[in-house]
Amino acid sequence: MEEAGLARRAAGGDSEAFGALVERYAPAARRVAGAILGPGDEADDAVQDGFLAAWKAIARFDPDRAFRPWLMRVVANAARDLHRRRKVRQAGELPEHAASRDPLPDRAADHSLFRDTLRAALETLPERQRIAVVLFDAEGYGHAEIAEVLQVPEGTVRSYVFHARRALRQALGAFREDDA
Amino acid sequence: MTDITPFDDRPDAALGARIRAALDRPGIEALVARVRGALVEADSPWDVLARWAPRGLVAAAAAAAVLWFLMPAPAPAPVPGPIASAPVQMEVSPGQAEAVVLTVALLEGR
Repeated sequence: MEEAGLARRAAGGDSEAFGALVERYAPAARRVAGAILGPGDEADDAVQDGFLAAWKAIARFDPDRAFRPWLMRVVANAARDLHRRRKVRQAGELPEHAASRDPLPDRAADHSLFRDTLRAALETLPERQRIAVVLFDAEGYGHAEIAEVLQVPEGTVRSYVFHARRALRQALGAFREDDA
Repeated sequence: MTDITPFDDRPDAALGARIRAALDRPGIEALVARVRGALVEADSPWDVLARWAPRGLVAAAAAAAVLWFLMPAPAPAPVPGPIASAPVQMEVSPGQAEAVVLTVALLEGR
């Protein structure tokens, strides 16, 4: 069934329809929460908190509007709340190898190093830039949808995406294409 | 990653794939099952009631409004005519008028 139909049924209190939406959006929600908290158990906790909060607030969701930006806003807020409550990650905390890219990784640099470096580079970004670039490039959201998630103007979203991409390109510049 | 300009509105598919790979973890099915389980546990009767209370109140108000419009208006109660127009018949027996005058005079202290 289409997202709109499921969302409409869920908004009417249909728990099965909401369950189908959970299944559909759990991977994206996990990545958004992971972008805020770092991929791990806490991100999963945030995903669960977010879906629960969305279900409790489903009566306030307007079925004539798009569901996924609304859901992602709730999930992102849950992840932010968790981040504030537990204070598990400090801004600027980076693994050694990511903080300095010298010496350049040689041919033996494996995929996990690239992944770790990308994660670390994401962590250095301001939270809103991080969410924007994950939603835009990894999840395929439009600027308008991201603007709804972040509650900022579309122009601000474009700026977030641009700056985030530039920072990621700088951080990953030492890697060759086939390292990724 | 492809070259990106500040005005590029297209998602960077290569960067997107790498971000997904960096943030993904195995076990999405377990997470979905966990969330579904939490939803079932969280859905106590009070939660259901709380979720439906606003809509229930709105529906009840709407139903009351519709009923109010559809109910026939009650028949108007008969309005009594003006007192002044009612015929008054007083029968005063002889001596009764004097008794009234005397009573009033006593009350007024005359």
